[in-house]
Amino acid sequence: MTKRYDAIIIGGGHNGLVTAAYLARAGKKVLVLEQRHVLGGAATTEEIYPGFKFTVFSYVVSLLRPEIIRDLELTKHGLTILPLESTVTPLPGGDYIYRGPDHWKTYRNIARFSQRDAEAYDEYSRMMYYMAKAVKYILEIIPPDPTSLKPGEIGGLLDMARHFLKLPEEQFYTLVKLMTMSSADFLEEWFETDPLIATMSASGIIGTFLGPRSPGTAYVLLHHYMGEIDGVFRAWGFAKGGTGGISNAIASAAQSLGAEIRTEARVAEVIVKNGKAAGVTLENGDEIYAKTVASSLDPNLTFLELLDEKHLPDELLDDVRKYKTRGSSGKVNLALDALPEFKSVPQGREVLRGAISFSPSVNYLERAYDDAKYGDFSRQPYIDMILPSMIDPEMAPPGKHVMSCFVQYAPYELREGTWDDKREAFGDAVINTLSEHIPNLKKLILHRQVLTPYDIEQQIGLSQGNIFQGELSLSQLFFLRPAPGYAKYRTPVRGYYQCGSAAHPGGGITGAPGRLAAFEILKDGLL
Amino acid sequence: MNAYDVIIIGGGHNGLTTAAYLAKAGRKILVLERRSLLGGAAATEELFPDFHFNTGSSHAGLLLPQVVDDLQLQRHGLEFLDSPVAAYAPQPDGRALTLWRDSNQNPVEIAQFSQNDAEAYPQFLRLVNKLTRVLRNILPLTPPNPKAASLSDLFPWLRPALQAKGLGDEDLMEFMRIIPMTTKELLDEWFESDALKGLLGLPSVAGSMQGPQASGTAFMLLYQQLGVSNAGLQSSRFVKGGVGQVSAALAKAAQAHSAEIRIDVPVAEIIIEDGQAVGIRLEDGEVIKAKAIVSNASPRHTFFELASPSHLPVKIMRRVRNIRYRGSTAKVLLALNDLPLFNSAPPSLEHLSGHIVIASSLDLIERAYDDAKYGRISQSPVMDITIPSILDDTLSPAGKHIMEITFRYAPYNLSTNNWDKQKDELGKLAIDTLAAYAPDIKDLILHQYVITPQDYESDYGQPEGSIFHGQMGLDQLLFMRPIAGYAQYRSPIHNLYLCGAGTHPGGGLTSAPGFNAAREILRKRK
Repeated sequence: MTKRYDAIIIGGGHNGLVTAAYLARAGKKVLVLEQRHVLGGAATTEEIYPGFKFTVFSYVVSLLRPEIIRDLELTKHGLTILPLESTVTPLPGGDYIYRGPDHWKTYRNIARFSQRDAEAYDEYSRMMYYMAKAVKYILEIIPPDPTSLKPGEIGGLLDMARHFLKLPEEQFYTLVKLMTMSSADFLEEWFETDPLIATMSASGIIGTFLGPRSPGTAYVLLHHYMGEIDGVFRAWGFAKGGTGGISNAIASAAQSLGAEIRTEARVAEVIVKNGKAAGVTLENGDEIYAKTVASSLDPNLTFLELLDEKHLPDELLDDVRKYKTRGSSGKVNLALDALPEFKSVPQGREVLRGAISFSPSVNYLERAYDDAKYGDFSRQPYIDMILPSMIDPEMAPPGKHVMSCFVQYAPYELREGTWDDKREAFGDAVINTLSEHIPNLKKLILHRQVLTPYDIEQQIGLSQGNIFQGELSLSQLFFLRPAPGYAKYRTPVRGYYQCGSAAHPGGGITGAPGRLAAFEILKDGLL
Repeated sequence: MNAYDVIIIGGGHNGLTTAAYLAKAGRKILVLERRSLLGGAAATEELFPDFHFNTGSSHAGLLLPQVVDDLQLQRHGLEFLDSPVAAYAPQPDGRALTLWRDSNQNPVEIAQFSQNDAEAYPQFLRLVNKLTRVLRNILPLTPPNPKAASLSDLFPWLRPALQAKGLGDEDLMEFMRIIPMTTKELLDEWFESDALKGLLGLPSVAGSMQGPQASGTAFMLLYQQLGVSNAGLQSSRFVKGGVGQVSAALAKAAQAHSAEIRIDVPVAEIIIEDGQAVGIRLEDGEVIKAKAIVSNASPRHTFFELASPSHLPVKIMRRVRNIRYRGSTAKVLLALNDLPLFNSAPPSLEHLSGHIVIASSLDLIERAYDDAKYGRISQSPVMDITIPSILDDTLSPAGKHIMEITFRYAPYNLSTNNWDKQKDELGKLAIDTLAAYAPDIKDLILHQYVITPQDYESDYGQPEGSIFHGQMGLDQLLFMRPIAGYAQYRSPIHNLYLCGAGTHPGGGLTSAPGFNAAREILRKRK
């Protein structure tokens, strides 16, 4: 194998594909190497049970950068986002809280619990809209280096300071709070209805190993608000065909721009010659050469697995080892014989086309977290459920359904036993929790897929099953992500780049790290 | 004609510090303290005949050296007592970990628990000392107002900024990385021994309703180390006669410059005319006017009790209301017939003269917090114990001792019961917990006195028993403390200033808020 590429992208997750597409768009000869038989990394759709398509890992989309959709003409390549507009929280007593696109319906629903909250909800939504708009700026820039005295870096820092300081006073201080508070504390400054606070604060714990009362979660809350679909902020959607539909659209765009994509091609090692990346060695021994190599994997793999330690300075090795990738979530996907009947969710197809959040109180979420803190999965977990087949009928045979449950908490490291022993018990805990609200659930299950953080790591290579390729905590964001001095997508090895969620601005189906990395790669002019 | 230039409400150590500096600058000062003794939470009280207890802060390691020098506190009777041992941590298995003031001794001690940790410890201390050197310099500075900062506001920050820069790129990044971290994350990166991590981690959760897995606790770990540098990340600097002597010395310094100090005079109201604070009314009706009023009380008490909230714009009122207090500290004070015998049999009396730490792992601290999170007193509390009478024979009768137990966690808001009913339960929990390490403790107790978060609120004016006048979370520090937009010791009401722990840099016996407030008041009135 002596064919030579301009760039090899390790990992065909959505970020790797975005980098590939942008490089191909710039006329470069690009090869994407994916270890699995299916593209997408954590954004895949797979037919796990005949006729039933599972959004195996990530399941909703909001954060995908609109400029990527435009630049790569993803709509032309089959990307269709269906709206996921409502969230309903079933409550133990048979009641529920509903929030949806109809303003007055939402208002009336919240007002049943608190008139004050119903009114605050509007103001809060407006404020978060401005917050997301203010922070969006961060998603679009390459983090400046605060330790550097180069004019470009100082200029970048000053630009950023100016951007935030010109915010109106209330917004500026609210932003400071969002960066530092816990999501529940932050929401309690606005609302008094506990299940409402719980459900909203749950956005702040997703993917993190923190409870809703842990400082730092308000930022994750904001991170989830930064989504923008067709110019509408905080809109959540479901990709037609599942999240795999997004990956396929990006892959199709990349291929139409000339990129080559190979699946079932696991990279064993990055070839370094004279201190410069020269290509990769596949697990089967094949060597493929390229002028540059970009890894969309997490730092643990990008630095410690794919490279020989001798190419890396000690500080970086140390920083990568300290980098926190504690997985906290699992996934339970079900093939169902019929539509489940909810005890405490209003009937009607509309509600079932939205998200159903099992987060009845802040203390419920905290207790779920307490289990995980000491190395157990939550006995009564937080569950964010959608029924993809209600949104896109092609996900399941007629009359049948698929159910996607995001479950937290499930720690990667168990205090006792292994995940192989506990996987089914974890699945049972989820089904039992759900059965309290869906009495006929157990009878409907045709197939059950339980994914623990360990499985997520084994199957798609996210170390410790962390869905963001590293926690979104202040110590691991912006110029500190993934390691001080390496936030600009480069590595100590010339021609070797990072382009995954472990790079700025972090996880979620944003495509932003992939896109910014492509620009930096092109800027270096090595290819 | 005003009889006074400035009236200071509250004779806590910060109020007295402000008073002393203003008096020294020639202002005519009146300090009004509602209790019959000075010091607020820096007080030593004779709770039982001949037994003198530190009812609030138990040590003085954070006190700004600059204040001690400027006000010549040592001439006014302040005498520090440095214990040779920083912390002694008996373990459930009968062993004990000791950290000495002389840090050369510590690797040997730590090696009994982990050879790796013993090797890492000196390096860890070097890092901590580097980082705290930067932090220490921001204590005596006024936080800039980011929305209206002028160059002259920012100028004093140049020094810590340069110093931070002087750390070098790597340490500067490390500094930024560590500040928002959790204690657990930080200590797990360095150490493997539970005993060591529990000992080092306990001070980082002092005063806040957070466990060691909460973001920002790593900052508090550094904050507790800000004072006199020592080896155990706990100040082991005590005061002869009790920490009340710090307040007494501050009062003497103020009086030496002609400040007037009155006790037993609760202030009922700050008199506000045309948006300006012009004086105060005492509870007995007496009205005293002054050009400026300084409140050493908490922001909540100042704006909602002393000044009518109607003087505040709605958005400011909201900010004051949203300050999180959430006290979680209780104290159990014991008069002892003799020193207790520990299972771990400390080889010398010295071992017990610093902090005795009952927190054998970070998980134990976290579990203690879990209880409090749901409104329960920790059933397996973690405790920081001092026996100041070992170093200081003025606190108790000869041969007898006092023991001060700081109990964590005791949530202000109890889910099931009110504090009056739970007070005894708390005392019992503390003593039972200690008895597992020192079985004879129960036989030695002559008197027992429990201070709950509710007592701290009603008797010491600490809202919800928050010993820091507001939790020191990252969102309530610097220019966000006490509220956004008013971190410069001024308030939305003209001529009304704040000088208490609710302002930058926060709680602890530092004198820094009082020192900074005095500077701002003088600057304004030039």
